[in-house]
Amino acid sequence: MSTVLWIIFYPIIAFAIGVILLGYGRKFNARVQRRYGPPIQQVFYDILKLMSKRTNISHGWMHDTALVMLLGGTLLTLYFIPVPGFDFFSGYGDFLVVMYILLIPSLGMALGVGETANPNGSIGISRALQMLAGYDIPFALTFIGMAILAGTTNFSEIIALQQAEGIFGWGLMTNPFLGVAALIALHGMMGEKPFEVMVAPHEIATGPMTEMGGKYLGMMMIQHALNVVIELTIYINLFLGGAANWASYLVKLFVLMTLILSVNALFGRFRVDDAVRFMWKVPLVLAVIGVLIIIL
Amino acid sequence: MLTEPVALMLLLSVAGVVLNIILYRLQSLQMIVSFLVFAAMLALNLQLYGTIGETLVLPVVVFGQAMSFAVSPLAFYFTLMITSITLLTVIFSLESLRGKACTQAYYLWLFLKTFGMLGVVFAADLLTFFLLWELMTWGTFFLMQQTGGESFSPAKKYVVYAVSSSMLLFLGIALIHAWTGSFSFREVAAAFPHMPEGMMLLVVLLMTVGFAVESAMFPLHAWLPESYASTFTSLTSYLSGISTRMGIYGLILLLFGFVGHELADRFQLIGVINLRYIVSIFGALTIIIPTFTALFQHDAKRLVTWHGIGQGGYMILGIFSANALGIAGGIFHIFNYMTYVTLILFSIAAVEYRTGTSNLNKLGGLIKRQPVAFLGLLFGIIGLAGIPPMNGFVSKWFIYKALITEGYPFLAISAIIGTLGTILSVYKLIHNIFLGQLQPEYNEIKEVPFLMQLPIWVLMLAVFATGVFPGPILSLIAEIQSSFGLAPVPYTMTGVDPAAGTLDMLVITTVFIGGLLLAWIVFLLGHKRRHVSQYQNYAAGHFLDESIPYNFNYNFYTGFEHIFNPMKKKVIARTEVAVSSLVEAAGDYLRRIYTGNLATYAMYIMAALVVTSLFLKELI
Repeated sequence: MSTVLWIIFYPIIAFAIGVILLGYGRKFNARVQRRYGPPIQQVFYDILKLMSKRTNISHGWMHDTALVMLLGGTLLTLYFIPVPGFDFFSGYGDFLVVMYILLIPSLGMALGVGETANPNGSIGISRALQMLAGYDIPFALTFIGMAILAGTTNFSEIIALQQAEGIFGWGLMTNPFLGVAALIALHGMMGEKPFEVMVAPHEIATGPMTEMGGKYLGMMMIQHALNVVIELTIYINLFLGGAANWASYLVKLFVLMTLILSVNALFGRFRVDDAVRFMWKVPLVLAVIGVLIIIL
Repeated sequence: MLTEPVALMLLLSVAGVVLNIILYRLQSLQMIVSFLVFAAMLALNLQLYGTIGETLVLPVVVFGQAMSFAVSPLAFYFTLMITSITLLTVIFSLESLRGKACTQAYYLWLFLKTFGMLGVVFAADLLTFFLLWELMTWGTFFLMQQTGGESFSPAKKYVVYAVSSSMLLFLGIALIHAWTGSFSFREVAAAFPHMPEGMMLLVVLLMTVGFAVESAMFPLHAWLPESYASTFTSLTSYLSGISTRMGIYGLILLLFGFVGHELADRFQLIGVINLRYIVSIFGALTIIIPTFTALFQHDAKRLVTWHGIGQGGYMILGIFSANALGIAGGIFHIFNYMTYVTLILFSIAAVEYRTGTSNLNKLGGLIKRQPVAFLGLLFGIIGLAGIPPMNGFVSKWFIYKALITEGYPFLAISAIIGTLGTILSVYKLIHNIFLGQLQPEYNEIKEVPFLMQLPIWVLMLAVFATGVFPGPILSLIAEIQSSFGLAPVPYTMTGVDPAAGTLDMLVITTVFIGGLLLAWIVFLLGHKRRHVSQYQNYAAGHFLDESIPYNFNYNFYTGFEHIFNPMKKKVIARTEVAVSSLVEAAGDYLRRIYTGNLATYAMYIMAALVVTSLFLKELI
């Protein structure tokens, strides 16, 4: 029974957390720049406004399907990542599955943006995919290292192993090289500065979002909110010992988000080839060292 | 003992060759006859399942060996792929090649090639295997140059590779015969472990390299892209779908039929590095290098043929992983690869049929004109990239999981790097053909005729269905593994046994469909959408119309070019210079053999005769 309730209400909870995290991000940025900033629930207002717009421009059926694929794929990923009290689906698909269902939303969006026939959008997707190859290689390697260390690819088992030994059993503690490499890769995955090459409003007119408006942009924002929760939770589950209860889960989410926002506030934007080069140099080398420590 | 379906299938493919010669120039009759014969062969193939384990011995004796055929589970698995994909290719060609010039011999060579491939997989002795292997490579050679003209020179390159690889195979087979005194698979397998170690290593190396050429393993892959891409696209799909994978068949036979993992692991070099691991490293390189080469191709067919090389690496990684899941994944990947790569190339052929080009820089926006081809390509690329819920993901998951379980992190990461490179290049493929701005000259084109759509629909269903329900194919693979004395893969109808891993494709697909429905409801919550033309677009205040090319497809991944080009200049250019100077020096020495003096030549011939006769004495 509780599983059914979780399945129904978990997306709403995750959406609420995501909206608050994004609102917190805006506020944080504003305070760093000595502005007052919008209220923390502003992101929610924005989504409401966009979803109720009367003008919705469509460039064809793939453009529409893309949004459905984007949100549908994100919901799928959300269910397969365990959170405290809800890891029903992690018995049906391990981390390798999560790594590849994470690509469904990106593929959906890429196809839709392609159909809008705007070169800014296509350039944005081209950059996003190059970044994907940049951050996913070190990230996958850190995961492979953790899986070999734990002897399993199942999320719940990796979490249980970490929690058995308290704070010193966390992935970040047992293998700091992998933990740091994954943290940098996570930063690229979240597309925050200096890896914000995909959106780059001053260069390519917000890239993939160029031709998106009204409910299309609204759905993209909903997905973005969920995606923030997904990406942070993956890192928490792999390297911060998962979470035993919701209080520690929320604390870990906000601490990790603050860390990423502080780096974001400090940097400008890399050019895409520099961003990929950085990813293939620093985190990848750290991850290789981490894996060598494990297997040797 | 006579096994009827095997005899009939071989007979039918020979009959196909003969009928096509009789009906030369009568194109429509050729088409109907070929279709019927191939359909009959597929029907026979389905009956074959009941006869697994039976053998057929022909009254033809070569070198004291009667030609013998047997139906093993592996043979059944391969013939099922061969007959079904040939039938689909024929159905597709019925429409796509109708009325084209220089196709009189098209079906003839198709039958010859099919005969060769069926013979190779049914063969129960090394001599039959080798003879039909030769026939098969010649079939490939003739199929490659169907378009005539420019396709001849890449086909010649293939023949050089194929003949040299056959010579290596022949030498390996001769050595095996010299030691065991038999060609029969069963006797060879029994005698193999007792071979002296040095000889065994030589045989294994010779045959591995021979098969590696046919399966286009790095660094013996250079013949493939151009020769496959320069023929008809229906043949490109046929050749990349099944023909290249005959090399993998040979490797499976060699590794599991004769050598076995325990023996392969005996060739230790340093620590954990053994022969199996070295082949796996080449498998990993086969994944990474061709996949990233594909990224920079400007021709759709050539891009896909580069992936044909890359995907072979996954099969090698799986088969050589010495893990029940990995081996099953490697063998399963052969089937999956065949379904999605033919699907991709049929879709490209459908575009080429209407637009006359497969140049990625000249197309765009065709989704509005050819939605079926778009869907076909979409299903195909999701399979190729290995994203759930298509079948490519399942076999790749098996391989990743096996490599992680066995503790090979760097082989596993190279498999994942290959997947990422694949995603990049297939997005470029679908974007440059179907997305972006529609070119004005393609404004009037239509969807392809039904006969060309049919194979696309069938393959789309196959790619999706075997992704959600991999069980039926995995049960065949478990039988193959048992027949070689390996542990069978612990499969369920929708994934793997929970004791061996965490994968249930049906649950994943169901949740995905649920997510899509929910997302669709959210989409419907907003106000109605309004369709606009592609010229009503953001252009920084500028006005767009047909005369303005407003598209991004040339040099799609410029960032990567910035990264890779200096590397290319440094590494590849220098390697090229080094290799070419090495070849020149070697050629300079070899040149001295040809003295121009007749007496010397006569001496060479004498020497060759003496050596051959000595060797023959040993052999017979």
